[in-house]
Amino acid sequence: MNRRLAIKQVLIFAGGLALLPSCLRNEGKVSIQLQHLDISAAQEKLLAEIAELIIPKTNTSGAKDLGLHLFVLKMLDDCYDKAEQEQFINGLKAFEGLEGAELKQLLTEANANKAGLAKEISQFFSIMKSRTIGGYLNSKYVMSNLVIWELVPGRYNGYFPVKTA
Amino acid sequence: MSNKQHTYDAIVIGSGISGGWAAKEFTEKGLKTLVLERGRDVKHLIDYPTTNKYPYEFEHRGELTLAIRKENPVVSKCYAFREDAMHFFVKDKEHPYVQEKPFDWIRGYQVGGKSLLWARQTQRWSDLDFEGPLRDDFAVDWPIRYKDLAAWYTYVEQFAGISGNKDGLPQLPDGDFLPAFPLNAVEDYFKKTVSEKYEGRHVISARCAHLSQPRQVHFDQGRGKCQNRNLCQRGCPFGGYFSSNASTLPWAAKTGNLTLKPFSVVESIIYDEKLGKASGVRVVDANTKEVTEYFAKVIFVNAAAINTNLILLNSTSSRFPDGLGNDSGVLGKYVAFHNYSARISAEYEGLKEFTTDGRNPSDGGYIPRFRNLLKQETDFKRGYAAGFSAYRAPERDMSGIGTDLKEQLLHKNLGPWQVGSHMMGETIPKESNYVKLDKDKKDEWGIPLLRISIDYDENDAKMKKDYLEQLTGMFTEAGFKNIKANDAGQAPGLDIHEMGGARMGHDPKTSVLNKWNQLHDCKNVFVTDGACMTSTSTQNPSLTYMALTARAVDYAVRSMKKGEL
Ligand SMILES: Cc1cc2nc3c(=O)[nH]c(=O)nc-3n(C[C@H](O)[C@H](O)[C@H](O)COP(=O)(O)OP(=O)(O)OC[C@H]3O[C@@H](n4cnc5c(N)ncnc54)[C@H](O)[C@@H]3O)c2cc1C
Ligand code: SF4
Repeated sequence: MNRRLAIKQVLIFAGGLALLPSCLRNEGKVSIQLQHLDISAAQEKLLAEIAELIIPKTNTSGAKDLGLHLFVLKMLDDCYDKAEQEQFINGLKAFEGLEGAELKQLLTEANANKAGLAKEISQFFSIMKSRTIGGYLNSKYVMSNLVIWELVPGRYNGYFPVKTA
Repeated sequence: MSNKQHTYDAIVIGSGISGGWAAKEFTEKGLKTLVLERGRDVKHLIDYPTTNKYPYEFEHRGELTLAIRKENPVVSKCYAFREDAMHFFVKDKEHPYVQEKPFDWIRGYQVGGKSLLWARQTQRWSDLDFEGPLRDDFAVDWPIRYKDLAAWYTYVEQFAGISGNKDGLPQLPDGDFLPAFPLNAVEDYFKKTVSEKYEGRHVISARCAHLSQPRQVHFDQGRGKCQNRNLCQRGCPFGGYFSSNASTLPWAAKTGNLTLKPFSVVESIIYDEKLGKASGVRVVDANTKEVTEYFAKVIFVNAAAINTNLILLNSTSSRFPDGLGNDSGVLGKYVAFHNYSARISAEYEGLKEFTTDGRNPSDGGYIPRFRNLLKQETDFKRGYAAGFSAYRAPERDMSGIGTDLKEQLLHKNLGPWQVGSHMMGETIPKESNYVKLDKDKKDEWGIPLLRISIDYDENDAKMKKDYLEQLTGMFTEAGFKNIKANDAGQAPGLDIHEMGGARMGHDPKTSVLNKWNQLHDCKNVFVTDGACMTSTSTQNPSLTYMALTARAVDYAVRSMKKGEL
């Protein structure tokens, strides 16, 4: 057999939006069903804010419109081990109670991997950021409107001219 | 039910690539044929649940969950075992085996076998391969040569549909091809560089079982042109690539001579001491565990190399206490595989005026074996083929957050070309690489578990080193930068090209099968899957199994007509 370079697939497979919004929305409970994680409604809201700061709404949809924080939670719940999940939650705690400029400040520091920042924060942030990005690029919205993904290309051109800017 | 109702002209064990061909050939020749398949039915088009899904329609966007990875340490290593095609692979717990040495045994138990999952690479052997064991003295002599198989290669290529160029290379005979998928700008550039700077080395368009331009015989199968989806492992809605499900099995069904029984686990082949030949097979129902016997004049074993060994080893009688046709004692031994454990990647800054558009299902380029081709010239035996492909991806700076990041993510500026290659090395069949039955442990169906003891050797290590050195040299000559040689260190098995155990040969004392793939010692049983392989060479093996199968059926039917079987 012969393997197409896997790297190519990474972006295609990283994330998206096909989560079923739960109809049983208990007060105080997260809005999707999770098997391992215990996330409160307040934490969910905070994650939504953080995701939105990572990928904000501009003239195109942002993280909140696409529910990307729910995708992050789904992946965290199903694809990470307990230790990573705990680190994520612990890291998230550092953001609790922050809003607006303060929230943005800490996030910017986490992104810059500022010296002296607690380890959990960077561990949280690295999962949060990469999964938010994955969810965005693999969302139906982006794949249908911005970076079109074709199910049936029906062609191959190995000398496709690149427009130079 | 009486035996009469359980009696057929021919029985085929397994419905994968080789079994599908046996079924097609027997039924076309008018024989009532029973195909026994241990897995469930997978009907072309109907049973491809994921085939039309978009990436965002997969719960985890294709990724495996932790629970699945933990439960399946072996099959999770296969690159194609992902959310979209998981359902066509055997899960570790379902069918355990004993690893005396690490061996990643990748299996597909369903109608169609691994033909649904394969990467569709297809190359002929040449006499440089068939004559290898004799010339280099590392195995018994193949009892056949290229001339015995050439017409059968053509025969199976025409039906299956193989894309490729006539490259005129002695080590890779040309076939009856559909148009090749073209190389892209950088693959072409590498091809040119290699042919200019290295005598005897070539980069060609990979030859593959895709209908780049279908002929009437393909439309007659209900198949159409490949649409470059590159989602083949899900099953193809166009029948664009060759699988038993899309091609040979429906063709066999159309003759009215096919009986296909899924969920039928063949436990053993029944040997009739009085007749001095096999009379039928014993089958355990996969679900009810009920045992049934079926009878036929001729039996083809096509359960895929390792399982074929298992069935033969488990078919004991007072005449054959160590397994059917095993007078020689070599059954289960001399198993070999392909060494896929090294790869190499790099970048190329040139040819930035081009990229690719659409997708190339052929995988790009192929480098046929060039080491020790005409004579022994290195300190290791035999050689390797290699893949070669190039592509470009968007260059995205993901360091920021917020609107900056968002802009970067949608950026369409392309990075440099990425190039990559992987090795496909020949391994030497050895007595010490074997499979055998466990004395105590049995599976759910009462069949002994298989013990697998297969490993690399020094020759493999030297060859791998050479591959990495040579490809690094070739990449350097081409001006590729950032060259990363990578010894994947993977266990044997992941190549999914296991071969041997019931090897062909002239001499019944040292081989299991004769030149017609017939057991030396039990003439109405034939083995035409990978188990029959005397040596492995470097080509992807399945095309050769197809050709051997069609040839062996032809011989079997001629022998039956003469009353010889
Ligand atoms: C991801 C992947 C990529 C690959 N790429 C390539 C490639 O590019 N080129 C190439 O040439 N090959 C490739 N291969 C290998 C190729 O798939 C096999 O060589 C080919 O399928 C072997 O055909 P077969 O008929 O021997 O076995 P299979 O196709 O595996 O079929 C065997 C069938 O027998 C059935 N069976 C087993 N035991 C029993 C039993 N006791 N009773 C009843 N039925 C039984 C199985 O369920 C199965 O359906 C690849 C394989 C994989 C998985
Ligand atoms: S690349 Fe061709 S064969 Fe594969 S899924 Fe697509 S259309 Fe089908």
